[in-house]
Amino acid sequence: MAKIKFNLNHKDVEVELDPSTRLIDVLREHFGLKGVKEGCGEGSCGACVVLLDGYSVNSCLLPLANVEGHEVITIEEFSKTKRFEVLKEAFADEGATQCGFCSPGMIIAGESLLSHNPHPTEEEAREALSGNLCRCTGYQSIVHAVLEASKKGEGLW
Amino acid sequence: MVKKYIAYSLDEALDILASKDVYIVAGGSDMMVQKKNTAGLLPKFDKDVLYVSHIDELKKVYEDKDGIHIGAGAHLSDLENNKLVPELLRKCISEVASVNIRHFATLAGNIANASPAGDTIVIDVLLDAEVVLVSKKGIRKVKAEDFVLGVRKIDRHQDELIKELIFPVHKFDKELWHKVGSRKADSISKLSFAGVYSLLGDKVKEFRCAFGSVAIKVMRSHELEKEIEGMSLSELNAQKDELIEKYSHVIAPIDDQRSNKEYRQKVAMNILAKFLDEIIKGGK
Ligand SMILES: Cc1cc2nc3c(=O)[nH]c(=O)nc-3n(C[C@H](O)[C@H](O)[C@H](O)COP(=O)(O)OP(=O)(O)OC[C@H]3O[C@@H](n4cnc5c(N)ncnc54)[C@H](O)[C@@H]3O)c2cc1C
Ligand code: FES
Ligand code: FES
Repeated sequence: MAKIKFNLNHKDVEVELDPSTRLIDVLREHFGLKGVKEGCGEGSCGACVVLLDGYSVNSCLLPLANVEGHEVITIEEFSKTKRFEVLKEAFADEGATQCGFCSPGMIIAGESLLSHNPHPTEEEAREALSGNLCRCTGYQSIVHAVLEASKKGEGLW
Repeated sequence: MVKKYIAYSLDEALDILASKDVYIVAGGSDMMVQKKNTAGLLPKFDKDVLYVSHIDELKKVYEDKDGIHIGAGAHLSDLENNKLVPELLRKCISEVASVNIRHFATLAGNIANASPAGDTIVIDVLLDAEVVLVSKKGIRKVKAEDFVLGVRKIDRHQDELIKELIFPVHKFDKELWHKVGSRKADSISKLSFAGVYSLLGDKVKEFRCAFGSVAIKVMRSHELEKEIEGMSLSELNAQKDELIEKYSHVIAPIDDQRSNKEYRQKVAMNILAKFLDEIIKGGK
């Protein structure tokens, strides 16, 4: 057990847990943030992706120890932003969501891309989403949704 | 119960390493998978754990007279975008795992994990990188080629931490990285090949190549490289088939769930043949 402080969704938080606890378990069980999904639990599907200091990372592979002092943003907080609205509409327009299981991770990976590269090429978008699997849609619609968001959200990123 | 230590400085980490037998965790992209437990339960660490991701001294990337120093804790995604990092290594990194994983995984973690499919190890070996280990007793440098001893076996003493990898600054005329996986991104290599060469007139001045995923460790033949260096392009052309035959004995492919021996052997030799063809054409 150790006391570990970090910033979660813009609030300073402290938890007393084993430092090897997976971030996904801290978020889902301790903070009730169920928008963070567990698919494979081993880094291959991206359903659990959150932002760590603004970059998409797999929360199923991150020990709490590594999060200490850093900033974590989950889909719950991101969904309060304008950027989210733009991404959500683009996903709807392109039919990029079916069952929705992959969507929180896809949107976070999309945000991570656009915030560092506001005008990605199709190839860059495909690459940025390559760690996020979708069993329903095929990837074309998702890649297009991110590209559309990049256009429609001009100036937001 | 096992203890978990979070080190905030190099000294702190070395103190712990000097007195305890611990697992070292950097990004965790290998360790957290290897120690995976049922969802909701703690990873199954059967001995103490030392977390090193907060140590700033391990994150430096810089160049000096010894070469390009890449800190053990630098994230792959930072290296991918850092112009100091050898281009061939950056190319290789851009195909490791996924963007998400590269945001926290490290270069030292890739070689220390010593998987036969570790992509960047092929480049470490090809470019004669050195692994710098530190302990309370001092510094020890080991060639990347000698550092990996076998599957998950490395030349690291219990009290040592990898501090950095050093790459010599050296330009070749041409450099090639070729990863054969089942899909473009996020795939574990079935096979990988890296090669470099330089020409002087119509002679091969420098030649190196290395194969990953074909055997328990990266395969490189210094003897065959010496044999090729100094050859004229027409000699290389004449001896091409013989050289490929020799290389096919250097690599000893393994069967696993990702691919079979015959496939690996054949594809490896095809890639080598294409690379040699490119060299032969290069002079004309
Ligand atoms: C879905 C997925 C896909 C992947 N795809 C690829 C791929 O395409 N190609 C590829 O090569 N790899 C791949 N990997 C493996 C992994 O991401 C890499 O090996 C990565 O570089 C490991 O870095 P890390 O910092 O996360 O390592 P960790 O898991 O933290 O550590 C790995 C090993 O290195 C040791 N170690 C780490 N830092 C130090 C240090 N400073 N000193 C001493 N020992 C140290 C640890 O003790 C451990 O044995 C993949 C992994 C996953 C989960
Ligand atoms: S649950 Fe984390 S990547 Fe699949
Ligand atoms: S919409 Fe169902 S997994 Fe992507």
